[in-house]
This record gives sequence, C-alpha cells and structure tokens, in this order.
Amino acid sequence: MLVIWHNQYAQNDLLFDAQKLCNEKNYEQAIPLLEKVIVHPETKGDPASWHIRSYAYLQTYKQSGPTNTAKISLLDTAISSALVSISLDSAKGYSDNNYAFIKNGAATYYKLGTILLQDSLNTGKSEIFYQKYKKYTSIINPSFDFKQKDIEYYNTMGSIFADQYMRNNFDQKHGDIAKMALLKVLELDSKNISANINLGILYYNQGATLMRMMDYDVDLSQLDVIQENAKKLFKQSLPFMIKVYELDPKAEKALESLQGIYSALLDEEKANEFKQKKEALNKK
Amino acid sequence: MQNFDPNAKVKAVFLYNFTRYFEWPEKMKSGNFIIHIIGTNNSLSGELNRMATSKQVGNQKLEIKNSTSLDATIKPHIIFILSESSDMLKDISAKYKGKGALIVTEKGGLAKSGSAINFVAIDSKLKFEYSKTNAVKAGLKTSEELKSLAIAVD
Repeated sequence: MLVIWHNQYAQNDLLFDAQKLCNEKNYEQAIPLLEKVIVHPETKGDPASWHIRSYAYLQTYKQSGPTNTAKISLLDTAISSALVSISLDSAKGYSDNNYAFIKNGAATYYKLGTILLQDSLNTGKSEIFYQKYKKYTSIINPSFDFKQKDIEYYNTMGSIFADQYMRNNFDQKHGDIAKMALLKVLELDSKNISANINLGILYYNQGATLMRMMDYDVDLSQLDVIQENAKKLFKQSLPFMIKVYELDPKAEKALESLQGIYSALLDEEKANEFKQKKEALNKK
Repeated sequence: MQNFDPNAKVKAVFLYNFTRYFEWPEKMKSGNFIIHIIGTNNSLSGELNRMATSKQVGNQKLEIKNSTSLDATIKPHIIFILSESSDMLKDISAKYKGKGALIVTEKGGLAKSGSAINFVAIDSKLKFEYSKTNAVKAGLKTSEELKSLAIAVD
C-alpha cells in the first residue's frame, strides 16, 4: 500500500526523512525518526505524523513474518497510531488509509487468533487476539454483527480441542476447552449441528474414558460408582445428539452416535431402533 | 466417538471380580483359568483377551475361549452364555452340574433357570442377580459377601 499525505510540515526534517525512508521501504529505520516526530511540537498534532507512523509499524510487522506473534506490539502500535491520526484528521485527508490500516490489523488478529487455536498452550492468547479483531472491526464498521464470526471462531476452537482431546489420550484439559467453546456456540445458535454433534461426542467420550481407564480388578462397589459417573456423562451427551437427529433425521453420524449412547445406557431397544434407522438409510 | 464398548469392559471387570468370590474345586486349581464365551460378541471377546494379557487368577493364567456351541474338550471355570445363546442354558447347566463351572448369563429370569450369575440392566447400570443355589449345584464354594453386592434370587 502506498502512503500519500500532504507535506504540510516539510520544514520538519524528521518527518520528511521518515517519509523518504518509508517510500524506500526502510520502515524499521523510519521508526526512530517517527517516534521523535510524534512528540515534536510542530508535528505531534498533525494527522500525517501518526498516519505515517501507523504505516511504518504495520509494514515493519509484516516484514517480521506473516504470523509473528512475538512482534505483535508493532501491530498494536500501528493500529493505535491510526486511531490517533483519525482523531486529529478533521479534514479526513487520511481516513481511508487509516481505516484500511485498522482493517488490515483486525484481519491479522483474526488470522493469528485462529492459528493460535492449534496450540493448546495459547488458547487464552487466541481469544485475546480474537477480541482485538472484534474491537477493531467495530471501529471500522460499528454495526457489524459478530454472531456468525463468533459461531465460526468458537466452533473451530471446539472442533480442534475435541480432536485434541481424542488425540491426547482423552486429556481432560482439552475436553474442557472444547466444551466451553461449543457451549458458547450453542448459546448463539442452539441449532448448530456441528456444535451439537461435537458436544454429544465429547460427553460420550468422557463417559467411555472413565470406563476405559478403569482397572480390571477394581472392586465391585467402586465399579458401581464408575458406572454411575459414566452414566451421567452418557445422559449428558444424549440431548445434543437428539437435537441433531431432530434437525436432520438423516444425519448418519447422529444415528450411529445415538445407537452407541443408548447402548452405553443399556437401552438395547432404543439402540436397535437407531441401528435400524441407520441401516435403512444406507439401503436407500 | 471412541471405538470402545463400555459394557464389554464392565462385564470383564465383573467376571474378574467373580473369581474372588467363588472357590473352584481343587482339581481346577492348576492349568489355565478358562473363561468360555458361548455366542458372538467381538467387543467382549476383545476386552477379555486384553484382560488376559495383564491379569491372572491366583497362579493361573487367564485363557479366553469362544464358540457358538458347547465344546466338550474345553474345561471352563466360567461359562458366559450370551443373550443370543440363552436357549442353551438348560443343557449347559445339566451337563456341568457339579463340575465346577460358574455359569453366567445375561437375560432376564435366567438366574432362576440355572445360572449362578445373571447380568441385568437397572437404571442404566449393569448389575447382577445371584443364585447361591445354582452356584452350589455347579460345585463351587460360595462367599456370603457376594450376596450383599448382588440382587439375590434365592
């Protein structure tokens, strides 16, 4: 993106030099000059100073790598500079570019937020970045409805962590994150098929894991307690899978899962009912 | 969903526990401890075979046999008659009377028809009916403690 601004303060050598460095793509070298420009009495109130600062930081961040979270403060500074420029820019001479910078920053935060979801150690950071995406998108478009984005983001989080839960030998930490995310999706859209399926499977798997981890020589009174706890989880999985079945009676995954859940609950009649429904579906 | 049958695991745990509550005749305390499944349940067979790799009964190694009909060459310590094979209970209990085989079934009412243990589903949990009379008829010494953990039928 080219930066064009009115050179009202050409007498200020620092601003001129910084602009020149930016035009030569020497953004990192321009930054020390711009730090002086934004405190200089002649240029600190000029929207151009903050605008070019925003641009220099944004480009420096991009040069650091497309998904660099270690240098994220550069992006923060770019966006905050654009916001100062907007607040000073009564003539709106820079507003299109300033808003474009913010939009670019917001998109980067969204991208980073989804990338960080892949790393269970960075879920918190991912959510912070996602909230920043929302905050900056609201500035560009105050009436933006985030519902679909929230559903998409938390569904992605839920799916990834439900998968991680399975891959990491049913580690509870991953299961809890998946559950939290998927319940958020259902708060926004109770008919969301993917979230209902994943939650149903998650609760079932938690119950099954209790059984799977039990030693063969656990005594009979303890076996009863484990069965009781697993039963509660199987029962918790049921309404989510029934919801999917109600929304889409031909969803094979729901039919298969309902067969498994009812079987785990020792309701063979119901388990057979869904087994037959699945077989009938496959015959068609 | 994970490829795992919770009910098969629960049945395996029950079967292993039963080995603590009965005493088999002296002549059956050597060689492998045999659990013979009559009928087809791949999940259960798999689970019991997994159990056999890590557990034993006293000094006896666990061995799992599986068939759809009686096999006279097998001298089982436990015979588990699956639901689908329940019709065979009468013949099996007659044939193994006094021979020290714990007969386990999984269909309503069978503890009153010859098996010593019968699995039943109560409130979505697996429990078991226990017939001390049938266990004694089978030639096993029984434990009073088991009665307190079971649904006694006699």
